[in-house]
Amino acid sequence: MKSLIHRFHVARASRPRIAGRMPATHASQEGKPAPGECRKIRGRLADSVARRLGPQAPWVQRHVAHCPRCQKRLAAWGKVDLALSMIKSQPHRLDLLMRANAAAVRMLNHSLREAARSQELEQARPESCFLDRLNRYRNPITNVAACLAILLLTKTGIFSSFDKVHSRGQTALKQYYTTQVGEDMAKDVFGV
Amino acid sequence: MFQRAVNYDLPWDAAAFEAVDESQRWILTAMRRHGHELVTMLWRILGNEQDVCDAYQTTFLRLAHHEDGLKPRWVKAYLFRTASNAAISMLRQRIVERKALSGVEPAAVDTQDIEFDIDVKHLTESLRCHVAQLPEHLRSVIMLRDFGEQSYGEVARILGISVGTARVYRCKAVQLLATWMNKEADR
Repeated sequence: MKSLIHRFHVARASRPRIAGRMPATHASQEGKPAPGECRKIRGRLADSVARRLGPQAPWVQRHVAHCPRCQKRLAAWGKVDLALSMIKSQPHRLDLLMRANAAAVRMLNHSLREAARSQELEQARPESCFLDRLNRYRNPITNVAACLAILLLTKTGIFSSFDKVHSRGQTALKQYYTTQVGEDMAKDVFGV
Repeated sequence: MFQRAVNYDLPWDAAAFEAVDESQRWILTAMRRHGHELVTMLWRILGNEQDVCDAYQTTFLRLAHHEDGLKPRWVKAYLFRTASNAAISMLRQRIVERKALSGVEPAAVDTQDIEFDIDVKHLTESLRCHVAQLPEHLRSVIMLRDFGEQSYGEVARILGISVGTARVYRCKAVQLLATWMNKEADR
């Protein structure tokens, strides 16, 4: 079991080499793979391998259900994952970066210490990345986008309905004229 | 470069000194660019704010002293490797100190919340201790990937290995940590 799981991880690790060979068989008309094709294939391969050989695979689960040694091993992996998550989730004080910068800047020489940039660093606070900051506005942005989409669809629907009504009306009138005054007159009136 | 008595006997000495300063402004740029990531990594490795400040200071001190103030070829790699080395030295020192004081047992606790806190603390500290004992090549990957939150590509570039190797090293490190933590639990 251990060796199989190890083989799975090694297979995952060597994914890029496998994917590197794939484009030759999936080459597009110009002989080069389309951009992103390699990544897609790599993703599919990884998913497929994970499904068949990963810890969640049914045959692994069946084995683990009856094997105390593997249960212990998986529990230990879970423990490591848990400990890593706990370490990652422990927050530090907001001014830690500021204090660390101040401590480091203190060791630099006078002119660097007095530079405006050093003073900025001593006031620095951790900033979340652009995407995280954008996350706060995700709901309003989604709502506005949904409203715009509805408006666009409504407008398109209304205009296409108008067009349909117009063309059907014209056909009906043409048919009426054809039956009442003859085809020639109808053609003269409606053009075609 | 560092706090030292500078005697400007001649005007060109002062000019040369200013030029050195000017050429070392990149240290401040590096601090601004990578400071946050470094502090996060150090905090996760050490879990103590004073130690984080010390390790951070040591890292930039070494950066400024690197080959007489020359800028390393890749500053980010230099910073991350130096910071993780500094942190691991401090962690090992702390482990030795703790072993020396191991005769002092913590007082018994009553409430469940406190017990949970102690469990969490014990688990994280135990992981830190085991990480410090990992072989260097495995430890570096765990530190950069899990504590420094770098992508496998970045980890591979920093350590000068392939992405596949970085993945395999991380997997081996987790296996080793799991084995050690299992043994510890059995004791």
